[in-house]
Amino acid sequence: MIDSTPRRLHLLEQYEDGEDSRHFSLRIEQPAASDLAAKAGQFFMLTLPGVGEAPFTYVSLPDAQGCFTALVRRAGRLTQALFDQPAGSVLGYRGPFGHGWPLFFNAQPLLVVAGGCGLAPLAGVIEQASRQAMPARLSVIYGARHSGAQVLGRERARWQQTLPFIETFDQAAPGQRQGTPLLHLDEVFAAGPPAALLCCGPEPLMRASAEACLQRGLRADRIWLSLERRMHCADGLCGHCYLGSSYVCQDGPTYRYDRYLQLLGRSSPISQAPPALFC
Amino acid sequence: MHAYSLDRPERLRAHLAAQRRLYEVRPDCQGGQHWQTVSSQDRHAFEPSSELPPFSAKSFFFGERELLFRFDGGQFYSALPQVVPQVLFGLHACDLQAVAYQDQFFAQDAHYQARRQATLLVGLDCLHSCNGGFCSVLGSGPAVQAQTADLILLPPAEAGADWGLLAASAAGQQALHGLDLASAHADWPAQRQANEARVRAEQGSQEDIIEGIARLNLQAIDDSTWEALGLRCLGCSGCTSVCPTCSCFAPLDRAEGQGGALRERVWDSCLYQGFQQEASGHNPSATAGQRVQRFWTHKFGEDFRQRFDSYGCVGCGRCDRVCPGSIGVHGVMHKVVQP
Repeated sequence: MIDSTPRRLHLLEQYEDGEDSRHFSLRIEQPAASDLAAKAGQFFMLTLPGVGEAPFTYVSLPDAQGCFTALVRRAGRLTQALFDQPAGSVLGYRGPFGHGWPLFFNAQPLLVVAGGCGLAPLAGVIEQASRQAMPARLSVIYGARHSGAQVLGRERARWQQTLPFIETFDQAAPGQRQGTPLLHLDEVFAAGPPAALLCCGPEPLMRASAEACLQRGLRADRIWLSLERRMHCADGLCGHCYLGSSYVCQDGPTYRYDRYLQLLGRSSPISQAPPALFC
Repeated sequence: MHAYSLDRPERLRAHLAAQRRLYEVRPDCQGGQHWQTVSSQDRHAFEPSSELPPFSAKSFFFGERELLFRFDGGQFYSALPQVVPQVLFGLHACDLQAVAYQDQFFAQDAHYQARRQATLLVGLDCLHSCNGGFCSVLGSGPAVQAQTADLILLPPAEAGADWGLLAASAAGQQALHGLDLASAHADWPAQRQANEARVRAEQGSQEDIIEGIARLNLQAIDDSTWEALGLRCLGCSGCTSVCPTCSCFAPLDRAEGQGGALRERVWDSCLYQGFQQEASGHNPSATAGQRVQRFWTHKFGEDFRQRFDSYGCVGCGRCDRVCPGSIGVHGVMHKVVQP
């Protein structure tokens, strides 16, 4: 039987990590085996008692002591109240939920495209690739509105030492790359066509990235997206996170692109306005 | 499944009410009908209406407002409902099929199951179709399916004759212990078939429903048709409230004194504008047409039918009766077949 009662979660510390975003260090009290088996791309439900509950992705996964980190962007009442919590606060935790990214680090190059705070669900994948003894051939294209809107500053500084990491901006300062991640795909493909795309960001950006990679010869079954939907129960019951006949909290949030199209009832590419928004 | 003859259904009702809290649909003197408790001493005749009550049995199991947990400032405490053994007396086949559907959907939901497992279901075959019902087309009625009930009442074709009573489950058989009942006459299956044929004829072929389901699954309904239907949706949640299979809910968190808090869940509706709206403002189902399409795809979509081995619509017709925009099931299916 499902028990939707949260477990105790301790807020260890938080620091600013991009405008309107904070990086939280958290500790699950008495972590369960399932917590320690969490995978990059899965998510957890965080409760602030008396205020509400919302899904967040793991930036770093729970360790043996139950410690992990998460990026939270201020978007509403719950996240504002969370920002106001002092270290030592008791919060609620449920998780892990959903399906994470497929992890295949071999000789074939992988491409990660992230937009705005969509970098957070991909952090575990990038981190793992950057720690390979012989660095996996993983390239990142990270788009943001402007440099102040970038997240995971400490992690990016580390990743940029080991991985091809392109940063691009809607509003670029002199010397910075301008435009959406799509504008830089050719550069990555020229260096070696990727065997797979892992993508997270605003849905229009993900669709456009997937279509651009399809046009460059990548198959739909080698493309994965991480969907954002409003989620409440995370048990596939409350109905809010539907994507066609699928519930994102259970079947997602990562979907292979061909499955995503099927759930939308479309077999052909989706025409979209050019993506301009980063969360 | 053993069949008994029952001189008076009130005798069975009194017997069951002596064991459990019994609910039956009763008129309210204002033209309405409601589920009400009936004691073992109750002397009112059991006179079921051929019209369905406005509300199905849904809220008996899937509470309209349900406490999930409490927080005392330091610890979280699960809250399961306090249940007493209960019996729902006189459920129609469609509403029983809806319970069976939700039994699957909420199979792992502790709150639902706590209530459900404390409940005995007494079904009632229909002699006539209710107004607007189409259970015979969807296979959810009019005869109560044995696997959906514990006991099944078979009304007599002629007033004053004995009723039939089928024990459809072990719990139903056990609940009859102490009642001295004779076996039913051998012709009860023929009577059921005659009742079924009568209701089926009254409901007709329902071509719009059948063709509408086909067109929906062929994705042959264009966006403009859904948006035209959406214009008539007031987002009032009437349909989702009365629908016996609708199951969406939302959490409701509340602070209590001294650092305490609690979370309840309350019925929600996929037809509300903000149902899928994210904190960022992004809304994957921003238009009323998209939301109306979702509602009906959930009821008649093939993916869902395969998952539950039945449609999410049981043909009760309550949405037709409650919708102020005339886009209940018949209104929608007529429009999608003849846009």
